[in-house]
Amino acid sequence: MSTEKRIQERDVVIQTIAKLMIPFIQLYGLYVMVGTEGAGGGFQGGTVLAASFILLVVAFGVDKGRMKMPEGWNAVFKSLGLYLYAGVGGLLCIILSLGAAEYLNYYGIPLAKIIGGPATRGFWVGNIVEVGIGVTVMAAFVSIFYDLVRKEESVEEEGGAEK
Amino acid sequence: MKKLHLLPTVALLSVILLGAMFMYVVEDIPAFGDPNSPPNKYVPLPISIDADGLAGSLDAGVVPAELKTKIAEIGYTRENHFPSLEEGNYKIDKTEEGWDVLITKGEKYEEYHPGPEKWYFIKEELGGKLKVYRYSIPVRWQEKTEEETGLPNMVTSGLADYRGYDTMYEETVIFTAAISVIMLLRRREKL
Repeated sequence: MSTEKRIQERDVVIQTIAKLMIPFIQLYGLYVMVGTEGAGGGFQGGTVLAASFILLVVAFGVDKGRMKMPEGWNAVFKSLGLYLYAGVGGLLCIILSLGAAEYLNYYGIPLAKIIGGPATRGFWVGNIVEVGIGVTVMAAFVSIFYDLVRKEESVEEEGGAEK
Repeated sequence: MKKLHLLPTVALLSVILLGAMFMYVVEDIPAFGDPNSPPNKYVPLPISIDADGLAGSLDAGVVPAELKTKIAEIGYTRENHFPSLEEGNYKIDKTEEGWDVLITKGEKYEEYHPGPEKWYFIKEELGGKLKVYRYSIPVRWQEKTEEETGLPNMVTSGLADYRGYDTMYEETVIFTAAISVIMLLRRREKL
């Protein structure tokens, strides 16, 4: 069975439901990732976001999925999350406080002197650090899924060529 | 004669043993949410002295010298990075059950963690003895987390703030896993 034929045989019901659900899943993933007052955090939110892209690939095929979420962007997001956490959230503490604070000590950011300590610390930890975690987790899971899917397809193609 | 499958047998046995161990552990932990169980409230210290005359001193807000030496004997001293019970850096709150000893840590962390923290809990037992407890970490966490981190969520503050290094390297592990899968499975010609 060729790839084009399999794409044509995809179910209309699944595609319509996926189209309806994916935006809401992504919104929920963002809510879980950023909302520090509710349950969840970066790891859970990133996984929900990755699940939305996996649903996209399941419903519409790998090629459409790769068009929406290219692998180049995946690689960028993967490192960007780590940079957000380790680079910005950490180095800002040391450089901007001129060495007064330790690594990952958000209390040492000079903004804390202006706005008031705990509020600034909550902002950095709750939003920026968690978004950093979520972006890395999402990109990592989507990239692993793409690689596994590609392997499956190429094996099938080889099998078909033999017949 | 049937061949003995050694490896599957060992694997099955180890899985069963692991399950039994988990069941034992689950049976052994305190009831969930019990606020007075040791991990949630306080840990008993091996101190037990006569309460004669010491209770009045505690009511007056002074920790007696005998109690101080007993606490120092178990190794809760400044040399071992425990806050010391010196004049002026502690205060005593009397509650219905006993006495709370609140200590101001001072030193380097005064800027970050100002104010007194609950440290020891002293209780008069039935036999006229004084028992000393140490407050466990969850109590301090509950009481200080919002004031220190500005987050209303205890889990997030623990995950991303108090244990920032741990979370950072967890993220690195996931990143490394993704890179490993790319190196193993991705095909160059299709990039």
